[in-house]
Amino acid sequence: MAEMNAGISSDVIRGYNDTMILYILKQEPSYGYEISKRIRSISEDKYIIKETTLYSAFSRMEKNGYIESYEAAGDVNGKKRTYYRISEAGLAYYREKCNEWELTKDVIQRFIDGSSYLTMKGDTNGND
Amino acid sequence: METIKNYLEAMFANMPRTADVEKAKRELLQMMEDKYNELIAEGKTENEAVGTVISEFGNLDELADALGIEKEVKQEKEESESNPRRALVLEEIRDYLQFSSVRALCIALGVALCIISVTGPILFNVLHLAGVGVLVMLLLVAAGVLLFVFSGVNSKKWSYVTKGDCFLDYAGSNYTMEEKTRYRSSFASRLTLGIILCALCWLPIVIVDSFGSLAGFGEVLQIIMLFMFLAAGVFLIIHSSMIMGSINDLLKINEGPTMSSSYTEKAYEHYENPKVDGALSVYWPTVRSIYLIWSCLTFAWWKTWIIWPIAGILYAIIKSVFKTGNNGQA
Repeated sequence: MAEMNAGISSDVIRGYNDTMILYILKQEPSYGYEISKRIRSISEDKYIIKETTLYSAFSRMEKNGYIESYEAAGDVNGKKRTYYRISEAGLAYYREKCNEWELTKDVIQRFIDGSSYLTMKGDTNGND
Repeated sequence: METIKNYLEAMFANMPRTADVEKAKRELLQMMEDKYNELIAEGKTENEAVGTVISEFGNLDELADALGIEKEVKQEKEESESNPRRALVLEEIRDYLQFSSVRALCIALGVALCIISVTGPILFNVLHLAGVGVLVMLLLVAAGVLLFVFSGVNSKKWSYVTKGDCFLDYAGSNYTMEEKTRYRSSFASRLTLGIILCALCWLPIVIVDSFGSLAGFGEVLQIIMLFMFLAAGVFLIIHSSMIMGSINDLLKINEGPTMSSSYTEKAYEHYENPKVDGALSVYWPTVRSIYLIWSCLTFAWWKTWIIWPIAGILYAIIKSVFKTGNNGQA
């Protein structure tokens, strides 16, 4: 697992932890471990979020009003857990982050060796 | 699971206990527990599960911002760079516990010798050798005092362990917890046996008396037996409580004097520990002084021994009352 983690620099992904969490909460309210498990399975084990990263994201986004927390008894054993759900502001923030990512991807991709970006989109670039 | 809890406690040992921090600790523990349970359910061994959970925990830096503890995290980092509060290595823990058990043995044996010493005059008075009796008694008391002194010889060397210069890392606290679990049952039976011996030390007298009262030498033997019972009982009580005490002290060092005390609103263990510990550290010397002063002033050695069993039982009670309070808060 360590090697897989080493593949992703936490500096790069830091700005997008919120996006991943909000994407999962957009589908249904969830709790800490469940969310980290989903992130892991959606990324096909390429990204394992640390507990401290996850919790600091929760706490920050709750302060900003993007998510709300509530206590609920979860699965079969009925253990009380803190669940999180996305708010209206959170949805708006999520869409904003998605746009930001599209733009980021678009920009960075132009500087990646061996990418076929320029040849494919070369003409749309020529209008400046 | 205990290991994970200890790990988390150690991580937050120097952080202020604000509501935010406590909440974060609860939530983090919940996540780690969920992960741990699932790994166990997948058939991982306890060690593998704990290893995975801890390696995926992350670090406190990331929480600093969210919890308003930037200052403390930074301070801890600087401190650990300039003045490392180092983790005790396993060998050190083993040596410390060994030292503690030798110290417990010395003190318990010393007290037992002081109790037994009174049998000297009783025995030799019957043989009309009062002088020899007093000599025997003084020798036994001297041996006891020597043991007390000896018990303190190495304590300076080890004082750093509980003074807050060290902490237990997760292997260390794991090891100490295991030691505690191993010692627990033998502690319980020794303590119980000790208390029973003290409480029933008069039994030989009653039993023998019921077969018809013995005159002269027989009576003396009964009384000597009473003191032997008492000495054995007090020995067991002191020895076992002191060993258990030092294991508990070791487990407490992660909560030791931290900057959190200045933030404390509620009373936490370390808040009252210094007082209790301080009181207990002067307990035996005080008892010893009372015994010697009373004995030397009155020369009523056949009466003054009563201090030791009373003090022993009192010590066990103080310790156990304090320990339950401790567990309740933890």
